[in-house]
Amino acid sequence: MAGSIPESAFADRAAALAGAAAVSDRRWDALRRAARARLAPFGAAVLIAALAVALAAPVLAPYDPYAQDLGSALQAPGRAHLLGTDNVGRDVLSRVIWGTRVSLVAGFVSVAIAALAGSLLGIAAGYSGGRVDGLVMRVMDAVLSFPPLVLALALGAVLGAGLTGVLIALGVVYTPTFARLMRGQVLTVKARDYVEAARALGAPAWRIAWQHVLPNAAAPIVVQASLSVAFAILAEASLSFLGLGIQPPGASWGSMINAGRGYLQQAPWIVFGPGAALFVTVVGLNFVGDAIRDGLDPRLRG
Amino acid sequence: MGRLIAHRLLATIPVLLLVTAGVFALLHLTPGDPIDAMMAESVDATAKDALRRELGLDRPIPVQYAAWMGRLLRGDLGRSIRNGEPVIENVSRRIRPSLELALLAMAISLTIAFPLAIASAVHHNTGVDRLGTTFALFGICMPNFLLALLLIFLFGVTLRWLPISGYVDPLEEGWAGVRSLVLPAVTLGLALAAVVTRTLRSSLLDALAEDYVRTARAKGLAESHVIRRHVLKNALIPVVTVLGLQLGTLIGGAVITEYVFALPGVGRLVVDAVFARDYPLVQGVILLIAVGFIASNLLVDVLYGWIDPRIRLR
Repeated sequence: MAGSIPESAFADRAAALAGAAAVSDRRWDALRRAARARLAPFGAAVLIAALAVALAAPVLAPYDPYAQDLGSALQAPGRAHLLGTDNVGRDVLSRVIWGTRVSLVAGFVSVAIAALAGSLLGIAAGYSGGRVDGLVMRVMDAVLSFPPLVLALALGAVLGAGLTGVLIALGVVYTPTFARLMRGQVLTVKARDYVEAARALGAPAWRIAWQHVLPNAAAPIVVQASLSVAFAILAEASLSFLGLGIQPPGASWGSMINAGRGYLQQAPWIVFGPGAALFVTVVGLNFVGDAIRDGLDPRLRG
Repeated sequence: MGRLIAHRLLATIPVLLLVTAGVFALLHLTPGDPIDAMMAESVDATAKDALRRELGLDRPIPVQYAAWMGRLLRGDLGRSIRNGEPVIENVSRRIRPSLELALLAMAISLTIAFPLAIASAVHHNTGVDRLGTTFALFGICMPNFLLALLLIFLFGVTLRWLPISGYVDPLEEGWAGVRSLVLPAVTLGLALAAVVTRTLRSSLLDALAEDYVRTARAKGLAESHVIRRHVLKNALIPVVTVLGLQLGTLIGGAVITEYVFALPGVGRLVVDAVFARDYPLVQGVILLIAVGFIASNLLVDVLYGWIDPRIRLR
């Protein structure tokens, strides 16, 4: 849903109802898969284009994203400025191009932090069982007790405005999802005969975790990660929109949209440029995430 | 049923304890001295020391935590640094616009989602269905601050039909109040409608394929009757699940919506407190939101047991 974070909270409860919901999910997925036969390539194209733009920003951007030119402020899109200029005469296109970097970094790095931290916690919890398991999972429940955006806002406030604070905040918000997923995988794999055999042969715990648990758990973690990136990008944009992320004059889609909202009447293009970039990227990444899920996790298919 | 409620309540206690510990720790996560973050450089040292003493920050952390918890248990959530009023009063003054927004958004989302999902499911794989699924995808990927600005641009700036910011209480001003809430509620409601449409459509499709639907049709019931009495009723449970799961997202969405439309709600209070570095207020409001969130999830859990007795028996 818009402006927020995936709803993995209280997934346990959803699992309780899985009996009823599984069939419907499958049908929905089957239909979406049919649609995706066309849409996955679109998603991949968007992702590749975004990566290329982010990497080649210095070359692609027609103007310096920070260069103010009050003489040409609030110019409508035209030949000189394809997406127009903002209230201090900066080229909107150049700022959208540079903003791609922020969005992608925010999406990928925060999810990487969460996947790493969550996996380690999940392995620790699932493997040790008992008190450690109880404590780790209750802490994860506590994190899930906050509405994601509110938690990210509070953490961002405490950590200070800026990209680092946002990355850590989003990392924390997404960690429980991965911890739960990993713990579940560990518990499943732990009960398998080959793990029993490895333990009987005297293999140390870390070796079992590395050789048996991780390879089995990798696919769902990758699936979850790919689905989370789009939401993380939305979340970063939301935080930047509220003023917590990248600080001015830095260019982030969310902060550009916030800066432009005072000029909706005279210069709506200040909002539309970064808004379109954000929307297309999120839609594209959603398609990619779905495609990766279908490819890696056949159980979720119909 | 009573056992289910008792069980859920008990399971909540450790989580609540950890939540309070987390909220308490928030203040101590600030890099450097929290007092410096809250007060300007120029404020003289005695004022800073006074605030430090008032917040108990000069004492050891375990003592601070015990004192803070003690006050919490007596219902004292602390005071805002900015206006000196208790957190509770700050929140209660703001709660009405938030509730009105949430209710209106919920009403809008269900008004859109139900007909759309039913039409999509009944006319499966047709143009109507594609419209429904496209709408769902659109609503899920659209950031709501962007949607808010698009609505403002279209209905506020271009067509000038509706006010674009500010709040008038519909309970006092009636129509003017409803008008002031329309754009925010549509912003918040559309995203929710997307998720509900998607869930309801697929659960309707499942219900339509059930044997009892064939039986109902075979005994000659009108199709509208079959849909209403047999299909819709059985398709509602996943919708309740999704509404429960979406609660957190809805609260986050409300924060942004209230910010964009300058509604004086609780979400706006959070943002304002964060930027004023009013940490006691941030702590208090966030704790209240978390407790409210936990309570509503509890309610959803209990609701399942009520809707579907099979869940109670597990």
